[in-house]
Amino acid sequence: MAAFLIKRLAQAIFVVIAVTLTVAFAIRLTGDPALMLTQGAGSVTEADLVKIREGLGLNEPFFVQYFNFLKGIFTLDFGKSFLGGTSVSLLIGKALPATLALAFTSLIVSIVISIPLGIKAATARGKWADQMIRILSLVGLSFPNFWLATMLVLLFAIAVPLLPPSGMDGFESFILPAVTMGIILTATNVRLVRTTMLETLRSQYIMVARAKGLSENTVLYKHALRNCAIPLITFFGLQFGGLLGGIVVVERVFNWPGLGTLAFDAVGARDYPVLQAVITVLSLMIIGINLLVDIAYGLVDPRIRTE
Amino acid sequence: MIKMQRGLRTAFVAMALAGTAFAPVSALAAGKLTVSSPQDPGSWDPIDTFLVNWASVSTNIFDGLTYRGPDLKLVPGLATSWDVLDNGMRIRFKLREGVKFHNGEAFDAEAVKFTFDRLLGAEGAKGPQQSNYNSIGSVEIIDANTVEFKMKVADPVILTKFAGYGGMIVPPKYIAEKGDAYFNAHPVGTGAFKFVSYEPKVNIVLAANPDYFGGAPKISELEYKFISEPATAVAELQAGRVDLVIPPTIPIGMIPTIQGNAKLAVVTSPGPTVYALRFNTRDGITKDPKVRQALIMGVDRDAIIKSILGGQAQPIASFQGPLSFGFDKAMKPLPYDPAKAQALLKEAGVAPGTALQIDLRGNEATFIEVAQAISAYLQVIGITATIKPYETNVLLNDIIPNGKTGAMFQQSWGGWTLDYDNTAVAMYKTKEKWNPYDSDPKMDDLLAKQRTITNVAEREKVLQEIAHYAADRALEMPLYNLNAIFGINKRVKNFTPVPDSRLKFTDVTVD
Repeated sequence: MAAFLIKRLAQAIFVVIAVTLTVAFAIRLTGDPALMLTQGAGSVTEADLVKIREGLGLNEPFFVQYFNFLKGIFTLDFGKSFLGGTSVSLLIGKALPATLALAFTSLIVSIVISIPLGIKAATARGKWADQMIRILSLVGLSFPNFWLATMLVLLFAIAVPLLPPSGMDGFESFILPAVTMGIILTATNVRLVRTTMLETLRSQYIMVARAKGLSENTVLYKHALRNCAIPLITFFGLQFGGLLGGIVVVERVFNWPGLGTLAFDAVGARDYPVLQAVITVLSLMIIGINLLVDIAYGLVDPRIRTE
Repeated sequence: MIKMQRGLRTAFVAMALAGTAFAPVSALAAGKLTVSSPQDPGSWDPIDTFLVNWASVSTNIFDGLTYRGPDLKLVPGLATSWDVLDNGMRIRFKLREGVKFHNGEAFDAEAVKFTFDRLLGAEGAKGPQQSNYNSIGSVEIIDANTVEFKMKVADPVILTKFAGYGGMIVPPKYIAEKGDAYFNAHPVGTGAFKFVSYEPKVNIVLAANPDYFGGAPKISELEYKFISEPATAVAELQAGRVDLVIPPTIPIGMIPTIQGNAKLAVVTSPGPTVYALRFNTRDGITKDPKVRQALIMGVDRDAIIKSILGGQAQPIASFQGPLSFGFDKAMKPLPYDPAKAQALLKEAGVAPGTALQIDLRGNEATFIEVAQAISAYLQVIGITATIKPYETNVLLNDIIPNGKTGAMFQQSWGGWTLDYDNTAVAMYKTKEKWNPYDSDPKMDDLLAKQRTITNVAEREKVLQEIAHYAADRALEMPLYNLNAIFGINKRVKNFTPVPDSRLKFTDVTVD
């Protein structure tokens, strides 16, 4: 087990280095922050630019800059934003909870919708209800998230002004963005629940339960659903990682003060420290979740360890 | 199953009830103005930034020695008067008495000296502001209410620069006590509004300063929300949660949406930003001034303004708008004349079907449409133009400065000093960053000469001469001066649009 853990940890560290190195290198190809900062200034000389670059620490060789950044990961000090000099840790510290809260709410919305619908589709397999649910999920899959977001805003914030169109300010501001993300996730989840449920319903113990004369609801929700839970929870857990990446566009439409908005602004401003930090935090979380899932599998199933 | 359906029904009813409970998506409290600004500048320290979006907020927190109001005339700010001495080598300011910073600290000559020593010293060197004030040699205190600026070189634009950005006067004791980092996030000035709170990437809230020397503001609270997505900003305006959307947020295409709402209005004013397609004057067919003239005459710019820009722009004859000092009203753009254009091309020996490339910023949807129209017009006179969109920063920081553009390339420019010097030097002086191709001793002389002239009328004449000379040589295809577009809720009264977005909300009221 120890060998397996060490191997998986080493892999994770390698991925973190590969991701951060790629980001650090790629973003430096896209333009000079000193020039970005002085756009609009009339009389900037090359000497001024040199001073500004020095101020930002850009005169150091690339690998020195990268090494300082890696050091920062361990001390949770990602330096200062080029745009105004706010501490990057402070920015991340505010944005990360906002993103996590939205991702979590979206996942819950999706689970609350997809489990009953998935079960319904499985029990009514091939019938009218199943067809409808499958068509709806296909429609849901085909929505671009920004379009769905805009439509929901038009409907529930402008035509019928029930909810705020943007911002993160109290419970009601969660509804539109979480429902947008939730609907998109639901489309996949319904199909997953349906498939898992169909397999479970074929098992012998379900037949036994039915033969004992238990009510259909007890069979479905007490016996079948519990046995579906393990693969579903694993999948929802992994989905959480993907969700963090996909949330960028939805955050922008709803002006949600999360990591996505932070990343978006940082790209525009060539704000290296902020962008590097956001991508590192996101990738660390995704890698972390994957690692946990792998370790959990390893603990449960010895065959995975020895592979 | 029935149980489940019942459960779902209950859930829906609960959601509907919850919806009505949230229903009062509240109308804003009277006396509070909420503004949507497209970008959080990240810092409130005047020496750290050059963003228009910084200035649009900070005009309400800080004051400079001079002030440029909505009519763009330079008037006294924290200084009540000034004398320009020794041909501009000394400027002596008489300071306003009895003014206090928001923290209670007195404003005096000490504060002015501190502000500029800081800007021109080590702290200022880290930011983009210093270079604009390099003409200042030193600041000397004559008495508590008089200061004198000793200049290294005469700078005719410096009085304007005292009205904005780095020239904003900051409190010495406060910064000494709290440090630069704290000041950055908790600004204190002498302005009409006091800082209340700042949430990075979310908002900044200000409260009226009842002791403001220019008279207390008529609203009690001012909030700027940072919303970068135009559709979101407009949605907030429609929902009544934002009173004012400032430029450059609202795209031309969204104007009808706002106008269609009885509670809202669109207010526009000619902005500082001008658009042109500049030529590669070094190589290819555009090396020949005749060809350049032909290309300019081959494009109907009035039609483009009317159809694509919805009339929200004015044609220009030089690379500046009417707000710019140096603008010559009498100067007329080359007329649209495709026949003459074709004749000129023939004279220059350009074969029909000759190809050229137009480089532009890929993120400006409206300008891409403009370029497509231009390409169609050029097709008519026998030039096949291809459009190449670049990522904005790549175009600005690599392609143009290194002279790697096609025959024509987009340049949009909006100098904050509203003085043609800023544009002309950057565009036409030999070896300037934005001028990769052209080198002209006569132009260089004119550009240098106007900087030494302190007589306003005389200098204006030289600037106009520069504009005419650039037009004679057809250095660019001047396109238009775009309006600054504001979306506003009609409950806001007494609002005057300011072209450069530096809006001071002292007279505005909210019903």
